[in-house]
Amino acid sequence: MEHLLAYIDAGSGSLIIQALIASIVAIPILLRGQIARGVSGVRRLAGRNNAPPTDEAGHRG
Amino acid sequence: MSTHRSDIVERDPGSYRDPSGYVFRRDGVLYRSIDGSYIEEWQAFLDSGLHDRLVEHGWLIPFEPAPLDLAADRASIAVLRPEPVEFVSYPYEWTFGQLKDAALVTLDVHRAALDEGFILKDATAYNVQFRSGRPILIDSLSFERAREGAPWVAYRQFCEQFLAPLALMAYRDIRFGTWLREFLEGIPLDLASGLLPRRTMLRLGLLTHVHLHARAQRRYAARPTGAGQGEQSGPRISASRQAALIESLRSAVAKLDWEPAGTEWADYADRTSYGDVATRSKEELVARFVAEIGGRRVWDLGANTGRYSRIAASLGRSVVAFDIDPAAAERHYRALAAEGRGDILPLVIDLANPSPDLGWAHAERRSLAGRANADALLALALIHHLVIGRNVPMSFLSSYLAQLGPDLVIEFVPKTDPMVQLLLASRRDVFPDYSLAGFRAAFARRWEILEEAPVEGSARVLLRLSRRS
Repeated sequence: MEHLLAYIDAGSGSLIIQALIASIVAIPILLRGQIARGVSGVRRLAGRNNAPPTDEAGHRG
Repeated sequence: MSTHRSDIVERDPGSYRDPSGYVFRRDGVLYRSIDGSYIEEWQAFLDSGLHDRLVEHGWLIPFEPAPLDLAADRASIAVLRPEPVEFVSYPYEWTFGQLKDAALVTLDVHRAALDEGFILKDATAYNVQFRSGRPILIDSLSFERAREGAPWVAYRQFCEQFLAPLALMAYRDIRFGTWLREFLEGIPLDLASGLLPRRTMLRLGLLTHVHLHARAQRRYAARPTGAGQGEQSGPRISASRQAALIESLRSAVAKLDWEPAGTEWADYADRTSYGDVATRSKEELVARFVAEIGGRRVWDLGANTGRYSRIAASLGRSVVAFDIDPAAAERHYRALAAEGRGDILPLVIDLANPSPDLGWAHAERRSLAGRANADALLALALIHHLVIGRNVPMSFLSSYLAQLGPDLVIEFVPKTDPMVQLLLASRRDVFPDYSLAGFRAAFARRWEILEEAPVEGSARVLLRLSRRS
């Protein structure tokens, strides 16, 4: 259902360039997110490897 | 039975663009009517909980539902009574930091709306006001449900109303802030792009949202996208890219900075001719006069960084602190923000050229005098700047101040004062009437002098006056 009530002139050029800019600026943001996820994964892995040994019940000794 | 009394309603002359509703006053009380065409969007907005969350966050002005029979016309399906804003200010009166904070809150509101499946359908700076020291969105009808893949319809408006002026102020000259008075719809991007230094093209945010944006506007000016009619054939943007766009805009705004120093009056408080005795004496007199006047609202005209505004605020007054100097007002704003104070609103105003009535039919944005609501005026260390610095006759000053408020605390600074000597250093003294006697004569028609007190340790005099009825 159509419910667009915007009343201002968005401007053709603004709409077109917006789509292009959104694609461009999404790349570093996407990459940053991927890198952050990768780093946190590595940290988690490293933390698990360095953790003190646990007994059978999982309690740290 | 409900009665529609449209004949006694005073519709806000600046509230006409959005068909979703408008602002009006009845018996001096501010209301917002909602048009029937907006009902589905409004209900969806309320049902989503977004409204409550934005209000809770302090980003959107709260409202009380009002009886429908207060509506100004039969097309209205609801009436709201928004909480009032103490003093309505305009973007061309804001400091750099105020415009920047208003831009950021606009983006934060839009981002929060996107998360709930809504958008801000407009991004005008006039939808933001300062309340308790913080920017707040005042238009509850600025939301509509997001359409999947649709670009942000208010992107251009945001760039023109916020990003372009902020960039010009930061990179070219702080005085570009006053251009918003000329360009009420925002600074055209082609103009901003042409004026910004070339090095701003090295900043991704400004390169894309101002420079490339301006070129795209030129190139595609006559190409229909179908977006205005809600067609699905226009440019498409996924939700994640929408979010990235907002984050990019936010980053571009956040990185803009301006150091408030080096202007004429920014360091005035540090360079003033007062000694400790005079400063203490003046503070005591101001406090006593303000207390004697009473009332709730004080306008501090020529407030600089707000030393005396704070004295009035400490007496429980709500203060609007005007100064011509964007650096002094910015320092004032930053200091208040750092202290978390909301009882003083600093603004940039040139009293020799105050904000006029502007916009459609000269009524959309009101003049400074048209918004006068002060119980008391402070005009401290101001008179010599207007009378000698700007050649304003004292009788003119008397008349204008009488338009702004009913009670006045004014400091007379004699010609022997070092600051007046400074003003006269490079010009002929064409002010034979500039004396305390001349002041009394010029102000006598409009004002009754209730008390005169010397500022100890100086040749200055503080006067308390009441406007003649």
